[in-house]
Amino acid sequence: MKKSNKKVLIAVLVMVASVGFLIYRGLTETSVYYMTVGELKTSALGQKVGPTQAVRVGGLVVDGSISYNQRDLELRFSLKDENKPQEIIDAVYNGAKPDAFEPEIEALLEGTYDRTKNLFQAETLLVKCPSKYESETVQDNKQEVGK
Amino acid sequence: MITFGILSQIAALFFTLLSMGLLLAGLGRNNVRLVQAGKRGLLSAMIATTLASIALAYLFLTDNFQVEYVASYSDRALPIFYKATAFWAGQKGSLLFWAWVLSLFIGLVIFNNRKEPDDRNTPYVYLVMAGTLSFFLFLLCAISNPFDTLNFMPRDGQGLNPMLQNPGMIFHPPTLFLGYIGFTVPFAYAIAAMITGSTDAGWIRKTRVWNVLSWIFLSIGIILGGQWAYVELGWGGYWAWDPVENASFIPWLVSTAFIHTTIIQERRGIMKVWNMVLVQLTFILCIFGTYLVRSGILQSVHDFGATGLGGYFLFFLVVVTTGGIYLLAESYSEFKTPGSVESYLSRESTFLFNNVILLALAFATLLGTVFPILSEAVTGNKITVGQPFFNQVNTPLFLMLLLLTGIGPLIGWRKASTSNLRRNFLFPAIVALMAGIIMVVFGVRQSYALLAFTLAAFVGGTIIQEYITAIRSRKKLTGESSPGAAVKLLWKMRRRYGGHIVHFGLAMMVVGIAASSAYKLEKQATLKQGENMTIGDFTLEYENFRQYEKYNRTVYAATLGVFREGNRIDEMEAERRYYVNAKQPTTEVAIRSTLAQDLYVTMPGIGQGNEITLKVAVNPLLIWIWFGSGLMVVGGILAIIPSRRRES
Repeated sequence: MKKSNKKVLIAVLVMVASVGFLIYRGLTETSVYYMTVGELKTSALGQKVGPTQAVRVGGLVVDGSISYNQRDLELRFSLKDENKPQEIIDAVYNGAKPDAFEPEIEALLEGTYDRTKNLFQAETLLVKCPSKYESETVQDNKQEVGK
Repeated sequence: MITFGILSQIAALFFTLLSMGLLLAGLGRNNVRLVQAGKRGLLSAMIATTLASIALAYLFLTDNFQVEYVASYSDRALPIFYKATAFWAGQKGSLLFWAWVLSLFIGLVIFNNRKEPDDRNTPYVYLVMAGTLSFFLFLLCAISNPFDTLNFMPRDGQGLNPMLQNPGMIFHPPTLFLGYIGFTVPFAYAIAAMITGSTDAGWIRKTRVWNVLSWIFLSIGIILGGQWAYVELGWGGYWAWDPVENASFIPWLVSTAFIHTTIIQERRGIMKVWNMVLVQLTFILCIFGTYLVRSGILQSVHDFGATGLGGYFLFFLVVVTTGGIYLLAESYSEFKTPGSVESYLSRESTFLFNNVILLALAFATLLGTVFPILSEAVTGNKITVGQPFFNQVNTPLFLMLLLLTGIGPLIGWRKASTSNLRRNFLFPAIVALMAGIIMVVFGVRQSYALLAFTLAAFVGGTIIQEYITAIRSRKKLTGESSPGAAVKLLWKMRRRYGGHIVHFGLAMMVVGIAASSAYKLEKQATLKQGENMTIGDFTLEYENFRQYEKYNRTVYAATLGVFREGNRIDEMEAERRYYVNAKQPTTEVAIRSTLAQDLYVTMPGIGQGNEITLKVAVNPLLIWIWFGSGLMVVGGILAIIPSRRRES
C-alpha cells in the first residue's frame, strides 16, 4: 500500500473510532428503560430503578383519576398497566393537558418514579392518538350512523 | 368505478409481469423485438395504474363512501382540495400513489431513451424497475386494496384527521414519495451495470439528474414535514428525531454521500465499488423507511399502525439486499480500481471523510431508531434512546461535516499545495474567526452554538470568496459589468454554483438550528381577559375572545396584543378548533415570524370564563432554517438544469 493511501486510511480509521466512541457514550449516557406500569412496579429490573433515574413508562389513563388545574398547569392522573389493570401508579405532569388526553387512552411518560409515594413525576407526556393516521375501523362508524 | 379501479390494478400487475417475462426472454434470446414489446408492456402498465389512480380520485370527489378507504379518510363536509389529496392520506392510497409514480418514472425513462438504441444495460434497467413496480402492484391487488368496499353504505365518511388538513401535510407525503421512488432509477441502472459488467461511469452520468432530483424531493419532503410539525403540531419544534422522521432522514444522508462520490468517480474514475454500495444502500433505506412507517414495529407519534404489510416489505428488503450483495461480490474484481486517493490533503480525501461522517450520521440515527427493538431482542428489556441521544451524538458529527463542507469544494484534486491552501482559506478563516469573536461579544457562550456559527461563517466565507474571485477573472476576460458577470457565471457554471448554493443554504440552516435550539425561550401561563405574560422582550396581553363557525369546524379564538418596550407592535390570534367528526379539539398555532426570531403561541386550554392557557416560545433565527432549506432546493435545481450544448 502506498504511503499516502496509508495516511488516508489511518485518518478514516481514527474517524470511525471516534464515531464509535461518540455513539457508545451517547448510548450509555442517554438511554432509558422503557417499561409498562406493571414492570416498573413489580419486575426485578423495575425494582432497581432509583428515585432519580429517568425511565419511560407506558400504560392507560385510569377513568375518573384525572384532575387538571388549569391555573397552575398541573395535571394529575393515575396510570394502569394495559394487561394487569390492578397495577396502578399515580402521576403528575406540570404542563398543559394535551388535546387527546382522556380516560383509557394510552399514555407514555418519561420522568422519575418515587417508589415510596408511588408517584411518577413526568417530564414529558406523550399521548398516543387513538386513531394515529389510520381512522378507527368503520365498524364503529356503522353504529354511529345507525343511531 | 370501483370495479374499474380494481380491474385497472389487476391489468397493471398483469402488464408488468408480462413485460418482465418479455424482457427476460428478450435478454435470453438476444431479441430486440421482445425487449421492445416489454417496454410497450410497461407503458401499458403505466396507463393502467394511471386509470386506477383516476378511479380512486373520482371515488373521493364523488363521496363514494361504500369504498372503505374513502369512508375512512373523507366526509361530505371536507373541502374539495382536501378530498382530492385524501388520496394519499392513508396507507392504501399511498401504496397506489407509489405504484402510479413509479410507473410514470418508468415511462419517463423509456421516453428519455427513445432516441438511443437499447444498449446491453437498458433491458436490465427496465427489468429491475418493473420488478419493484410488480411488488407494489401485488400488494395493491392482493393485500391492501384501496378499492375494498364495505357491505353497507355509510351515510357519511369519517373525515380527514384535522391535523392533516394543512397544506404542508398535503404536499409532504407526495414529495417524500417522489424522492423515495426516484432513487429506483439510479438503483436500476447500477444493478444493470453490475450484471453486464459495465465499469464505466455511464450509469452515473445517465442517472445524475434522477439522483439529484430525488435528493431534492426528499429534501423538500423532509422540510415540509418539519414545517408541518412546527406550524401544526404546536409543541414548538420542527424536528423530534421521531422514528418516522428518521426514516426519511437516513436515506437522505446516504444519498447525499452518494451524490458527492459520484463526482469523484466522474472526475477520477475511482470509488466505483463504493458508489455501487451507496446507491443500493440508498434504495434499501428508502424501502426500509417505508417498512418502518408501515410495519408498526416502532412506537411513533405518527406511524400508520400495524398494517400487516411489514412482512412483505421485509421480504422485499431481504431479496434486494441479498441480490445486491451477491451481484457486488460477483462483479467486485471488475469494478475494483487501481487508482486511489493520493493525499489526505485533496478534494478526494475530504469527500471520503465527508462520506464517513454522513454514513456515521446515518448509522447513529438508524441505531437510535431501532435501539428499542435491538435491546429487547438482545437483553429482553426495552431500552429507548430519545432526543438527547441524537443531539449528543449527531451534533459534533454535523459540525465536522460543516467544516468539511467549507474545505471540500476549494481544495485541489489529487494533492493540494500549501499555497493553494493559503490562497483559498486565509480569507474564510479570518471571516470565521471574526464571526466567532462577534458572537462571544454578543454573549454566546454555548460551545456547540459558537462552533456552529463560526463554521457556518467559514463555509459562507469560502463560497463568497470563490464567487468574487471568479467574477473578477471573468470581468477581466470578457469586459462585462460586475452584475452581468455575476449572473452569467452562475448560469454558465451552474453545476458548480448550484452545489455552492446548496452549501450556503446548509450553512444558513445550521445557524437557524443552532440559534433556535440553544437559545429558545419557553413559558406557559393561564390568563384571564386583560392579564398579560412576559417572555424575553415580549409581553402578550389577552385582549379579546370570540367564537365562530367556519367550513367544517367551530373556532374559538383569543386575540393577543404583542408589546415590546411598552409599545403595541402587533397582534396575534391563538385558536382552538373543534372539527365536525373529530372527538378532540385541535390547537392552532399562531406564529409571528421575523428575521430575528419567531414568537410562537399555542392555546392548549380554554377554561371557565374564557380563561385561557397559553404556551409561548421565542425561537431565535428560526426562519433562517426555512430560507436555508429553500436555498438548498434552489441550488439543487440549478445544478441539474441541462445545458443545451451537451444535447446538440
